[in-house]
Amino acid sequence: MLNKYTWWELVLLYLGVAVFLMFVLAPFAEAFAVSLRPLDGLFNIPYEFITDDMTFENYSIMWKSVPNLALYIWNSFFIACCVTILALICIIPAAYSFGRFTYRGRDGLLAMFLGINMVGAAVLIIPLYKLMLTLGLLNTYWSMIIPGAAFCVPTGIFLMRSYFLRIPKELEEAAYVDGASRLYTLWRVILPVALPGIMVVTIATFITAYAQQFLFALTFNSKDAYKPLPVGLYDFFGHQTVHWNELMAASLVGISPVLILYVFLQRYIVAGLTSGAVKE
Amino acid sequence: MGQLSLRAVTKSFDKAEVIKPTNLDINEGEFVVFVGPSGCGKSTMLRMIAGLEEITSGEIVIDDKVVNNLAPVKRGISMVFQSYALYPHMSVYENIAFPLRVARTPQADVDRLVSRAADVLKLNERLKHKPGELSGGQRQRVAIGRAIVREPKVFLFDEPLSNLDAALRAEMRVELKRLHGQLKNTMIYVTHDQIEAMTMADKIVVLRDGVIEQCGSPLELYHKPQNKFVAGFIGNPNMNFLPATITAISPASVTVKLNDGNECTLPVSGDCKIGDEVSVGVRPADFHSGGNIKVIPDVVERLGNETVVYANTLSGAPICIVTGGMVTMAGGKEIAVGFEGQNAHLFRADGSAFERNVNLNELELTA
Repeated sequence: MLNKYTWWELVLLYLGVAVFLMFVLAPFAEAFAVSLRPLDGLFNIPYEFITDDMTFENYSIMWKSVPNLALYIWNSFFIACCVTILALICIIPAAYSFGRFTYRGRDGLLAMFLGINMVGAAVLIIPLYKLMLTLGLLNTYWSMIIPGAAFCVPTGIFLMRSYFLRIPKELEEAAYVDGASRLYTLWRVILPVALPGIMVVTIATFITAYAQQFLFALTFNSKDAYKPLPVGLYDFFGHQTVHWNELMAASLVGISPVLILYVFLQRYIVAGLTSGAVKE
Repeated sequence: MGQLSLRAVTKSFDKAEVIKPTNLDINEGEFVVFVGPSGCGKSTMLRMIAGLEEITSGEIVIDDKVVNNLAPVKRGISMVFQSYALYPHMSVYENIAFPLRVARTPQADVDRLVSRAADVLKLNERLKHKPGELSGGQRQRVAIGRAIVREPKVFLFDEPLSNLDAALRAEMRVELKRLHGQLKNTMIYVTHDQIEAMTMADKIVVLRDGVIEQCGSPLELYHKPQNKFVAGFIGNPNMNFLPATITAISPASVTVKLNDGNECTLPVSGDCKIGDEVSVGVRPADFHSGGNIKVIPDVVERLGNETVVYANTLSGAPICIVTGGMVTMAGGKEIAVGFEGQNAHLFRADGSAFERNVNLNELELTA
């Protein structure tokens, strides 16, 4: 396909991209700017983006003013990892089943999973609280991991299923003819071929898990030791002042695990891993 | 080892019966080709033999053992798929070794068996490559390697050459035939290409709509097709069918009057009566110039060694003639052609064939 644009079309395209990026990235820029200022320099009028008093001091003070900060970041990371692992353990076999087998009620089940996604966790928070209470899971890691995983599963199944559907059926049939059992085939043939898809689901689940823990942590946990970062950030709220600058510094440090993970995993999302399987 | 029988096998999807009750015996070491138009059930039949499709009723017997409910490996078959179905994340070596790994064969044996398969298929240089780095023909050979490595009783091929280009296909055809000569296993091969069927098969099974129309050696099918469908399917270009009416019957021959020509006598026998509407089947190459059928050439294809003429009779029926490469013939100019009665076939209105008095043994074959 030929892509020929006139100069003004190009300008418009780049302008569109720039506006979108501004919209997405401006909060990060502002958060970063705030994290560099002293507290009394925050409310200057007129507003200046770059000021003389900028330092990285807040990035060291924050660990002292909230001693649990490292623990909170670790909790966030730990909970998100557990959620991802638990969710993947559920997603992969379920998606395989939805993608490959025909059985009564399959499509209905899939629709139900997606329906849960539409309702969302906030609506179900009170029944969930009751459930956690009955199971004795309140104020444990599990109270944040289990619901977190549960709400990641439907989207994950949907993503993973569409990836499994793209894997040619002959691959499984060939393995079956060669004597491999269903599980052996899934483990040795399907999963390696589906690896790019699994990576996509892993990243999507991890990011969702990292972002959604606030609600569950706020509702189901009141122990400092188990708090994830989004709830832990409330420690920067003093009785008289809110340490916005340290709060922003802590937030930026807190989202870095997601960024780092993304950098490491995104190279796995490469097309062409299936090249040579079948003749296209 | 490798004797296979189908006994009253059927297959239905919901209410549609795609394989009608079928009986078939395949002898050990035979190269059998299932051939037929798309949707005739040939692939389904192969998959039923493989154990990838359940059979609705009947029995599949391999070496005197009913295998209806056995997994493919237990049946002693292996299969090569049309799309090759190679495992893209494994090297050629691991692809070929896959069935052995499943069977937990010791590494020393794996090495020995894989290198032997690679020798047969000339893949030694490629063992470390991934399937994505191979050409179509090489991928095909890897797929075959995976099938031969565990030494099955019966090989199944599901249109294995249809993804290759014409030149490579001809080459692989010869290689497969040579492989069969080396391995001497029973092979069942599905194709829609009647040239592959004719060149490779010991026995051809022609299928249509889930029914075996005829089963026999290539030349048997060519010279003694049992019905109009087989006659039209085997042979390239297709056989011509000229409408005619029976005018005289004698014990060893039938005389017919062609709608577009004169009377001719065919050395055939079978039930019929004077006045029956019949079709005379004439292969394009059996026409010679100078006869009583007047035709007008429409398209002339000059292939060098032969000339294929697509013509119409005066009544408008299409007719195809193959003649020598040096014959000059212009489109639109009427010519006269004829054929010898002994070369022609005769079919009743219901499509069944009259028995031709051709001795297949005289044609140096044993049917």
